[in-house]
Amino acid sequence: MVIIDRLCYNSKLRYVNAGEKFAFSVLTLIACVISRSIRISCLVLIMTGVLTVWKGGIPVSRYLRLLTIPLVFLILSTLAIVLNLSGTPMDLFAVPIGSVYLTGSRDSLAYALKLILTALASVSCLYFLSLNTPMPDILNVLRRIHCPRLILELMLLIYRFIFVLFEISSAIRTAQNSRLGNRDYRTSMKSFSALVSALFIRAMKKSNALYDAMESRCYDGTIHVLDETFPPRKREICWILFFEAALYLCVAAEKIVL
Amino acid sequence: MSGKQKRLMAASVVLILTLGIGQTAGAMHIMEGYLSGGFCIAWGVICLPFLYAGVRSIQKSLNQNRKVLPLLAMAGAFVFVISSLKLPSITGSCSHMTGTGLGALLFGPSAVSILGLIVLLFQALLLAHGGMTTLGANTFSMAIAGPFVSFGIYKLCERGKVNRRLSIFLAAALGDLFTYCVTAFQMAIDHHGVNTVGGAFAKFLAVFAPTQIPLAVIEGILTVLIMAALETYARPELRAVGYLKEEQ
Repeated sequence: MVIIDRLCYNSKLRYVNAGEKFAFSVLTLIACVISRSIRISCLVLIMTGVLTVWKGGIPVSRYLRLLTIPLVFLILSTLAIVLNLSGTPMDLFAVPIGSVYLTGSRDSLAYALKLILTALASVSCLYFLSLNTPMPDILNVLRRIHCPRLILELMLLIYRFIFVLFEISSAIRTAQNSRLGNRDYRTSMKSFSALVSALFIRAMKKSNALYDAMESRCYDGTIHVLDETFPPRKREICWILFFEAALYLCVAAEKIVL
Repeated sequence: MSGKQKRLMAASVVLILTLGIGQTAGAMHIMEGYLSGGFCIAWGVICLPFLYAGVRSIQKSLNQNRKVLPLLAMAGAFVFVISSLKLPSITGSCSHMTGTGLGALLFGPSAVSILGLIVLLFQALLLAHGGMTTLGANTFSMAIAGPFVSFGIYKLCERGKVNRRLSIFLAAALGDLFTYCVTAFQMAIDHHGVNTVGGAFAKFLAVFAPTQIPLAVIEGILTVLIMAALETYARPELRAVGYLKEEQ
């Protein structure tokens, strides 16, 4: 159901210390966002791509397909940035519609290109984290950086429940499909609402059962779990520090020169 | 199907035919890296008081009844799962519900702000919808602005004795539309270029309208159908989450 979750458990970088991966992707992400330059974005895109595909062992075709997920958003918002309705034509192109022009300028196209590359590079940083780190490890990192306990506990439970509910919903889906529950638009609307309401009832039942189970195992308001930790390695930390230092130097250089 | 359901269904089909030609995307998550650093931080800071209030309200109900924790966790997972279910569409394209309107009606807006934050983080990490730097902006538009508007409209309609189904429809659909307006605004103040913010806002609204307006209408109709089903089959559960008042 959740492809990223499945892939990250098979990643070759799974047993690398999660804090290292988290620090790497967040620092690189911040560099992308503050620089917003074509060169930095390409550098980051290549670096994270190589790390995820070559070091992490995520199939290239999968990785590329995942990069196209935000494509619709990207196309639409680029249209909104480039296109203009104006009385005077601009320098890139102009299509007259009645008395106004549907027009765009070179500057806005350059801006949009920069933005697309920055966004793709940032997404690749996000993928580096999420394709190589299972969610419980990320939660551990969040605990280390003192995220509020209530939120962490909710996150832990929600993460577990997502898969329970997914399983129920896909079973219901299969049952509905095998009974022609989606044969036309009307039935599929009806099926969808039936699915969601059945899911809600099941979720409530499950949460009651879970509470009873926890209560009978001495639940006192906090959930204690043992976490697997993998110690950080000196060599990896050195590489990350080296790369980030170089990256931030590039960012600084670009800011000063331009 | 009852007569009412039939009429709703007919209305939905007509609306889909007129509006829903080009529905492709799901809810409008601002993509990772799309906002500049300053705005990422600013939206995050704006969210903080709401999130603080959310944590406080959850903590308060936890102190009264520990059973609330698994219930809220289930609610969060429920919102996540329904937001990743494919909506029925006749064009064969793929679109998703936001689910926060339904969540706000069922669990109250302040709880949904916290759940929404967590769901958005999971969506970023597990589904690559949205991102970590834009988490603040997305939380504000989807987990705070939308649910509060939905809940407010629902309460207003309840006070004004508006038909219950109509009020649920309005709450879910207008909450969705408001989320979409807020998101367009968030993008416009960051990316207006040489234009005025107003002009850029209008452009972003116009570009996303073909996907978002039909989505809001479908979500409204589905929320009505779902609530109708729940009121028939799940009265005890609805009472447990506080949507229905204790009657007996």
